Amino acid sequence: MDGPHKRAVLELAAGMGEALLENGGEIFRVQETMERVAKSYGCEGFHAYVLTNGIFASVDGPDGGEGAVRHVPASRVHLGRVAALNALSRDIELRHIPPEEAARRLEEVRAIPYTPAAKSVAACAVGAACFAVLFGGGAADGAAAFAAGLVMQLCAQKFLTGSMGKIITNILLSAIVTAVGLLASAAFASAGIATNPDYVLIGGIIPLVPGMMLTTSFRDFANGDYLSGTIRIMDALLVGGSIAVGVGAVLAARAAMGGVLG
Amino acid sequence: MTFVLQCLVAFIATVAFAVLFHVPRAQYAWCGFTGAAGWACYLACMAAWPSAPMASLVATAVLTVFARAFAAYRRCPSTVFLICGIFPLVPGAGIYYTAYAFILGDMDGCAANGAQTLKIAVAIALGIVAVFALPAGAFRVFAPREK
Repeated sequence: MDGPHKRAVLELAAGMGEALLENGGEIFRVQETMERVAKSYGCEGFHAYVLTNGIFASVDGPDGGEGAVRHVPASRVHLGRVAALNALSRDIELRHIPPEEAARRLEEVRAIPYTPAAKSVAACAVGAACFAVLFGGGAADGAAAFAAGLVMQLCAQKFLTGSMGKIITNILLSAIVTAVGLLASAAFASAGIATNPDYVLIGGIIPLVPGMMLTTSFRDFANGDYLSGTIRIMDALLVGGSIAVGVGAVLAARAAMGGVLG
Repeated sequence: MTFVLQCLVAFIATVAFAVLFHVPRAQYAWCGFTGAAGWACYLACMAAWPSAPMASLVATAVLTVFARAFAAYRRCPSTVFLICGIFPLVPGAGIYYTAYAFILGDMDGCAANGAQTLKIAVAIALGIVAVFALPAGAFRVFAPREK
């Protein structure tokens, strides 16, 4: 296999791995996809080592090897792109599409847009309301959680776009959820409708809970990727702890201001 | 009736999370089914034998089976269905009650809720890991025929 082709295949494999990893693929899938791509294009001596936040790949060769390193910082999960990359990898393996076409399709996948902001806000509000009901609340609890989820996602999109770091962002967002949830509960109470703040707040914080990180962490551990599993579980613990701090701070502040807890 | 209603709410909740995670629209309903199946199983287990970790274990295993079957049938990574469907089972309430007891200074309640949350997390992990230990061939029967 000639040098330029080898370089192109390595770039393609690393690019697909990078895209999978940053959009929420688990380590095993990333590694396997990269190896399959290399094998499908007849790239012998391909090796890849994948971590939660980085990829190392190389191709051996008599005329010197080729290498590629990618730093993949944590970013937003986009399962639609993961699904599209899965389809692309299948086409490479089964239909043997040429590398140039694969590279073009990879660019298309990277350009798949995120869900429109308004739709995300609606989904977050509906999700929060549903969870308030699932955990034992009634319609009024659901409505209050709806408000909390709505305001939280709006704030997440408008003001807290990741520049403050994960910990502070999650503390602030869970504090916002708690404050809005308590206010909504109080508003219902003054209108003579009883709500249970526990259910309202639980529904409201569920969109922040690190369910995705936990799930992926467990799967990384199960596949023997202990280091990546550890990184993700630390991530989940930090986010979980941040939520507890944010919720707790607002509840404690309310108690200090003379309000009754619960 | 409550049971059916709860499953319906779990369906909608899971679809809401599918939207938040930018799942392709064609898979929304399948994510919803995965979440509803897990929640139905959780409720049934809790009714028969009220232990949240045990019910979480069984429900997670069932929903992971659904996620893998849908993955084969829909030709879409199982992650897509699993991540959305698992949300009703993730111990968000546990985190909340643990933090709440901590703020109240109720250290016994904090420890009890914390331990329960950890148990549920371990149960979920076991459920996922056990079903992913099954060979991929077991789920190939759900794959659509090649055209």
